[in-house]
Amino acid sequence: MKARVTVGALLWLALITGLHVQLNVGWERLRGMLLGRRELVVGFLPVT
Amino acid sequence: MTEHSEEGSFFRSQKFTDWPTVKEALIAKEIGAAFILAPMAMQLRADGVPCKIVYLGHRDGTALVVGKDSHIHDFSDLRGKTIAVPSRYANQTLLMYKMMKEWHMAPDSIELRELPPPEHPTALLSGSIDGYIVGEPFAAKAEMDGFGRVLYHTKDIWPDFISCVLVVHEDLIERDRALVQELVDGIAKSGKWLDADMEHRMEAAEVAGKMYYFQDPKLLKYVLSKPVDRVKYTHLLLRKDDFDEIMNLAVENHVLARPIAFEEYADPSFCHSLEDLDWDLGHLPPVPADAASTGRPGE
Repeated sequence: MKARVTVGALLWLALITGLHVQLNVGWERLRGMLLGRRELVVGFLPVT
Repeated sequence: MTEHSEEGSFFRSQKFTDWPTVKEALIAKEIGAAFILAPMAMQLRADGVPCKIVYLGHRDGTALVVGKDSHIHDFSDLRGKTIAVPSRYANQTLLMYKMMKEWHMAPDSIELRELPPPEHPTALLSGSIDGYIVGEPFAAKAEMDGFGRVLYHTKDIWPDFISCVLVVHEDLIERDRALVQELVDGIAKSGKWLDADMEHRMEAAEVAGKMYYFQDPKLLKYVLSKPVDRVKYTHLLLRKDDFDEIMNLAVENHVLARPIAFEEYADPSFCHSLEDLDWDLGHLPPVPADAASTGRPGE
């Protein structure tokens, strides 16, 4: 019983962590950060 | 506009809805680069903000729009009318002053009212203004929806008109020239690809409308095709003469407090001939099925 609760808690933790990463950073961006890929934010207005 | 360059760098676009916020984000270094109005970029530099123009966003792509059934048929009919402009620091505002001079009208003979671009069409529809001058797709919006009429396209009154320019922080230029070069080359290649084939323009309208602008792709297709030279994405190199003309107009009309030298606010060293660039991307990746309905946040 104790083991099942621990595994369940870990799975839940992994799921929540994964969702946070996906929503706030994105897997592709995280991968780029880990690989040392450079990033630049470019502002724009939706006009030509 | 891409998220990934061929070299693997990550270019993230951040959408804004008004010019002052873009300016503030640039000053606060929340963004490293931005497409802003040309005179605004000069003013930023004059104010001591360490940034430089490195490339153009496009050429032409602005129109002066009036009510479809209005009795305005040439520029002189605008005397005493109220015309919306995107900003005091917009080249569109300078164009209005230039036209007033050419038509022998006093600089105050037309009331110029600053309004954020997305509000121009609704202001015309509500009757609070008599017309507006703005970058696309807001000119085409009134035309497509049937309540506006283009009085002039900039391509007909100021050929190769400059509206938005790419501005980059000077510290980024010093720290990572290669990244800035990658961005400039990417814009140049995209522009070359866009202007090469009408099919490319239609694809781009689909992708940009659904994934970046969150606007009806039909509107963007209209902008990019009616007429085809309504907006151009080639010849985006920085030409000193073009900018001197803008700067002199800005000083003459008290938009800029003092003359500012081209070298102070522009760095043309990133501009290369289009002949040296090629983009082997035949077609854009398909738009994800859920992009049209949900959109994607701020990128």
